[in-house]
Amino acid sequence: MNLDVAFWTALFLSTLRQTTPLLFTALGGMFSERSGVVNIALEGIILFGALTAAVVVERFEAALGPGPHPWLPWVGVLSAMVVGGLVAAVHAVVSIKYRADQIISATALNLLALGAPSLVLTYFYGNATNSQEVANRLPLLLGLSPLVYLAFLLVPVAWWVLFKTPFGLRLRAVGEHPEAADTLGVNVYRLRYTGVILSGVLAGLAGAYLSIGFLNQFVRGMSAGMGFIALAAMIFGNWHPLGILFSTLLFGFASALAIQLQGTEILPAVLVQAFPYVVTVLVLAGFIGRSRPPGAVGKPYEK
Amino acid sequence: MLLGGALTLLLWYLAPWAVPHRLFGGEGVLLNPFGHHLPQGSLPQGYRDGWLGLVFYLSLAWLLLSLALPWRMGPKGAYLAGVLGLGLFLLTYVLFQSSVAQVNVGAERPLLRRYSLGLGSYATLAYSLYLLLLGRVYSPGGLAFLVRRRGVVVPLFSLLLASLLGGVIVAILKETPGEAASLREGFMLKLDLITYTYQLLFSPLVNPSGFLQSLLLATPLIFTGLAVALGFRGGLFNIGAPGQLIMGAIAAMLVGVYLPGPRWLVLPLAILAAAMAGGLWGALVGWLKARFGAHEVINTIMFNYIAASVFLFLISANEYKFFGYTLYLPFKYPGYEARSYEIRPEARLPHWTDLVAPGGELSFALPLALLLGLLGYLLVRRSLGHRVLAALLLGALGYGVGGLLPGLPVSFGPDLTSVRLNGAFLIALLALLFFHLYVFRTVGGYELRAMGLAPKAAAYGGVMAGRKVVLIMFLAGALAGLAATHYVLGGGIDEYRLKQALPYSVGFDGIAVALMGQNTPVGVGLAAWLFGILLTGGLQVNLQLGISRELVAVLQALVVLFIAAGGFLPRYFTDPLRAAEVELKEEVRP
Repeated sequence: MNLDVAFWTALFLSTLRQTTPLLFTALGGMFSERSGVVNIALEGIILFGALTAAVVVERFEAALGPGPHPWLPWVGVLSAMVVGGLVAAVHAVVSIKYRADQIISATALNLLALGAPSLVLTYFYGNATNSQEVANRLPLLLGLSPLVYLAFLLVPVAWWVLFKTPFGLRLRAVGEHPEAADTLGVNVYRLRYTGVILSGVLAGLAGAYLSIGFLNQFVRGMSAGMGFIALAAMIFGNWHPLGILFSTLLFGFASALAIQLQGTEILPAVLVQAFPYVVTVLVLAGFIGRSRPPGAVGKPYEK
Repeated sequence: MLLGGALTLLLWYLAPWAVPHRLFGGEGVLLNPFGHHLPQGSLPQGYRDGWLGLVFYLSLAWLLLSLALPWRMGPKGAYLAGVLGLGLFLLTYVLFQSSVAQVNVGAERPLLRRYSLGLGSYATLAYSLYLLLLGRVYSPGGLAFLVRRRGVVVPLFSLLLASLLGGVIVAILKETPGEAASLREGFMLKLDLITYTYQLLFSPLVNPSGFLQSLLLATPLIFTGLAVALGFRGGLFNIGAPGQLIMGAIAAMLVGVYLPGPRWLVLPLAILAAAMAGGLWGALVGWLKARFGAHEVINTIMFNYIAASVFLFLISANEYKFFGYTLYLPFKYPGYEARSYEIRPEARLPHWTDLVAPGGELSFALPLALLLGLLGYLLVRRSLGHRVLAALLLGALGYGVGGLLPGLPVSFGPDLTSVRLNGAFLIALLALLFFHLYVFRTVGGYELRAMGLAPKAAAYGGVMAGRKVVLIMFLAGALAGLAATHYVLGGGIDEYRLKQALPYSVGFDGIAVALMGQNTPVGVGLAAWLFGILLTGGLQVNLQLGISRELVAVLQALVVLFIAAGGFLPRYFTDPLRAAEVELKEEVRP
């Protein structure tokens, strides 16, 4: 075993890379749950975002030629965010307007994210599992994608929005006690729509990072439970941006360790892959009693 | 009424009324009274379309009647118009079939192939049914009639919505085969494409091997559907069926491959092992919830990934390095593919031909056993235990007597014997029965439903909530684990082995099955069969039209979404209190 400097550097950078999509998604989930809507559709939304980014960039390349277009990946990122927001909007309408069970409605979207990409991929590329590779990935800044920096920058921004702006105050009020907020003239429905759609936009961003930042194509099921892990991290992080930063770093570290151990003789790769999931279970069992969810989370609001 | 009439008229104008012949690529000879679409320039092989004119004028007359009759006579008029419409559709069907038969009969090989009625004619059928429904709704107590049956109305309406949206998706994703001369012909081609897609999806209903194949695919869906439904009944959301299935499959493989012994001992033990392993995997999540309050949704999903890892660990290689030491495992069969050794013949579930006709003779053993078992259950009017015991004893008697009776020699074609439907289907039927008896006929089941409806009231009434959660998750996991009997012990895919190709995502399909079936055993059975049909038909859609069979997965997801939203129907279809209000109001009204 040779655990030298190179190994630790690789582990550190890998941790940052693995944390990024989790951080985007967990912060998104935080906005949604703080407004009172559980959004376990984030897993599916990551997939939709990843698919959109990869397909949009590839289609543009097919139309414009492969030559370097520095602006192109950003178009992909933007469209992934839009699609993520739209999918989340479906969840929002069904669970806010039609008072559906929020978990079932979100599960439907997750099921959709398992099937729908195959239809799109078959339409464009004639195979059901992955998209064509794109030439214009997101650029690298000091060895890391700009989205990595953006994710970590979002932590203080999210904290400021949630605790220092009127919007954040109202969002929290709507999630804690919608009746009280409503009496004071806060529009409960509008804030909940905003919270859920915001979560979708961020999960879409995470998806774009996966398909055109981390890799250069969409692969079926590439989110591999990241959306659910992010939700566990959000619970572990106590629905607070700083807590979420540390908990996603923990999960990111677990994933990075799993990746770095693959191909070594320390542990078999197939078992190591399960490591982040085991950590999630342990964390949920160990810390859930000590965290407190928003008061009205999961309950449809009726005027 | 006006809306339905206008829509029907529009479809009559735009959609083909009948497709007497279809080329292999999916392009059809489309007949429409306003002008045909003929891929080869003329009607094929001397086909005569004279019947269409008659039907067209009759249809126009009927459309006028359908507006006039309800206007003059109220609901009774709607009934009358609906019945007339059904008659009209029947006439269309008969005329069309005879027109095709005129060409095909006598020919060596059928000249007209893949013929069927088109959307225009189906519009007549749909509008008639709609008229009948309107007649019922506008009769006294009509709304209460619908609301009382909301358990059927909401899933069916959601299925209808999902199918419409699915049709739009098909229209967008798939270019129409053939060239359209006008805008109307373009519409006609698109609408025919959608109709043809759905005809293919439901095609297993009309051919025997497709029918068996749909039962084969329904088998695991029944198990996983029940696994999810049991959770829902108890107020838990079990998304862990895939993982529970994997654990069941591993256990079934271990017993089936490595336990020597006689058939009467090994086979039940292997089945039991599948149930136990799935059950324990589920119970673990239940315990985490009861003890630590960890939400079952995220945990079951994590346990799915962990189970998949364990599964691959066991069968993808036999040699692993742990901190430099080497661990040897005995499970993987030599070769490139990740699969286990073969299940011993004693532990295999019989193929359907061996159940229905062992030794090439149609046996009376199973039908008689089922009949007597049912009689035993219905005739003995004592406690539940007595009734089940009587059913079992009489069933065994029937099996014995039926086995002694001489059988009728039969033979099945290779298209039927190649379908790997097996004894797991019978286990699935027993599981449906168990679900019914446990949930609706025992004290434990009563407590379970109380937990689902009002957990606090149930706890106040003396239900041990924590223990109950573990038990529910155990039973749900056991049901999901039993699905493994189909894949491993019954050789449901292609071999009697545990293979990497184990399609454990049917555990997720169980969610759609449970919701579609409204968590009742009959509903789950029917919903599983419906999705079995669609999955079988999805293969045809892929073969003939080149649309990914994931179309069925998308339809399932949409059905789940729409049922969750109550089918976008008014509130009194989803809220029991408001439903009761509607029913009361309608009853009080003179």
